[in-house]
Amino acid sequence: MQRRHFLQALAGAGLLGSLPLTAARALAQTPGALSVDDLPALVGELTLYLGRGEGGLYENVLEAIQKRNPDFKLNIRRGVTAALANTIVAEAQAGVRRADVFWAVDSGAIGLVDEAGLARKLPADLTGQLKEGFRYDNWSPVTGRIRTLPYNTDKLTADKIPASVMALPDSGLSIGWAPAYASFQSFITAMRLLEGEKATGEWLKAMNKRGKNYAGELGVVMAVERGEVDVGFANHYYTLRLKAGKPDARVGLAFTQNDAGCLVNASGILALSEGDLPVNFIRYLLTREVQSYLASEAYEIPLVDGVVPPQGLPALDTISPPKMDLTQLADLRPTLDLMRRVGVL
Amino acid sequence: MKVLLQSCHKALFVCSLLLAAAQVSANGDIGEHVNHLQDNLDKYTKEVNWINERIDAMVDTYEAKGAEAAESDKVVDIWESVLFHSAIEVNYVPIYASIWQGLYGVKEAIDAEKPVNEVRAEQAALEQSLWQALGAVKLAALYQQRGLLEQVKTTSGPTTPVATLDEVKQRLDRVVAKYAEKLPDEATGIVHDTYLNLFEGVEGALIEQDAALVESLEKDFNVTLPKAIAGNGSVEEVRGVVSDMQTKLNSAQELLEQAESERKDVF
Repeated sequence: MQRRHFLQALAGAGLLGSLPLTAARALAQTPGALSVDDLPALVGELTLYLGRGEGGLYENVLEAIQKRNPDFKLNIRRGVTAALANTIVAEAQAGVRRADVFWAVDSGAIGLVDEAGLARKLPADLTGQLKEGFRYDNWSPVTGRIRTLPYNTDKLTADKIPASVMALPDSGLSIGWAPAYASFQSFITAMRLLEGEKATGEWLKAMNKRGKNYAGELGVVMAVERGEVDVGFANHYYTLRLKAGKPDARVGLAFTQNDAGCLVNASGILALSEGDLPVNFIRYLLTREVQSYLASEAYEIPLVDGVVPPQGLPALDTISPPKMDLTQLADLRPTLDLMRRVGVL
Repeated sequence: MKVLLQSCHKALFVCSLLLAAAQVSANGDIGEHVNHLQDNLDKYTKEVNWINERIDAMVDTYEAKGAEAAESDKVVDIWESVLFHSAIEVNYVPIYASIWQGLYGVKEAIDAEKPVNEVRAEQAALEQSLWQALGAVKLAALYQQRGLLEQVKTTSGPTTPVATLDEVKQRLDRVVAKYAEKLPDEATGIVHDTYLNLFEGVEGALIEQDAALVESLEKDFNVTLPKAIAGNGSVEEVRGVVSDMQTKLNSAQELLEQAESERKDVF
């Protein structure tokens, strides 16, 4: 849906009225994300469950929001994303609700909480700020990350890398991977959902003969740069960060087309309690300022219109990620079972 | 100059105490006494004397009746039966590791039926570590009295890259301690867990500052340290690797601190 048409539809449905006037005006007038100046002040107290994220940068965002809103108190419980998701579900089963908002580093954990029926519906004017393909009723993606194939630029050019991830095991290339890594397992979950269990199992078996194991995906990118392997599997930001510290690093980024190999996954947030405060808090994370900050400092991909993506990454609309409901990535257990069965884990 | 060095050493030591106190024991139940160190100092002192007497008696038996009669396996039981064990573990892990090293030094010297003067040398090293540990706990008690020491509790984890690297360094001390306790699998488990759950979260920011430093630490975490543990070498060898890593982590902290001070504001 074109933005103008979308705004007309919102106005027609009377939904712009749910925002303060300045915010409604800003949304109507400017293409893309709102500025923090357009948002209402936060007043009251919230408890946020925060899945550990990008080395302190999420903390900087939260601190800035609190500093800007002196009458707002944010209690934060931090932990591993999956563990917090399980805690929220367990607390709900026990009849208690301690968290008002849940910010998770991956959408799979969001899916787990949403599936349990605990997420509140978000207003359409909020979810409508997100790029098409990232609009969900009960949660909001915050920033994205894309699966990439980092390759050694001394050994290869991007056109020598198959456009299909399924063709990689037969490419003759040496490949680095980190099967124990959560992002890699989400990628395999996407493959399982898109290509089926049998094809994914065969792919894993073939890759296992060719793949060289690393503990993490930064390790994969560094091995590619050293020329230990020709190509690897990693989220995009590792390569961008390596190139920031070592501009002549011999590593480039390739993308497969329309398959799990170029999946765009996202961190996400959902409201667990009713009222304007949790929703308005979420609005802060979608502002131009926060999206720009996370793009420039953490190399994450902004998911609202009008914010420049991190340097060194092609625009999102030039990549062809597969269309899929990211919350389905919560279905991790069959993936782990499959990986164990074929001897990858 | 000597005074200055002593002051620096003391400051670092106090810093280590303050940081280590927030750490949770890897050995499960540690007892509430660690949050009331001052009230338990007499007990700890008696325990240290008791340990020294028991070990001394063991070495006397060895001298008089030989290795079998000495029952060297009991060194572990002796150490684990005292409250002081967890008081030092939660407050200053490097000396905790030295105590284990000393205990096994005595045990292995007896088991190898070494001359008694060599066994006595190991015993002296153990005693020195125990008295040093008691000093550390007394200092910790002082800081606890002044409210400068955090309650020993489960924390929700560090929130900044610099704090994360502090925790990484503490966990590396624990790796040496577990290796000294003859628990190499547990030591390796801590290395992997520390890499995946702590270091990996900050190395993205660090690589922007110094790619070569990250390359070097990656190798330490994934090759050098696990290999040193698996190689069944001396505690000193493992401690040497850890010490090198901690030096690199200090540099990493300075770089990240500088980068954070130059970072743009969110709003």
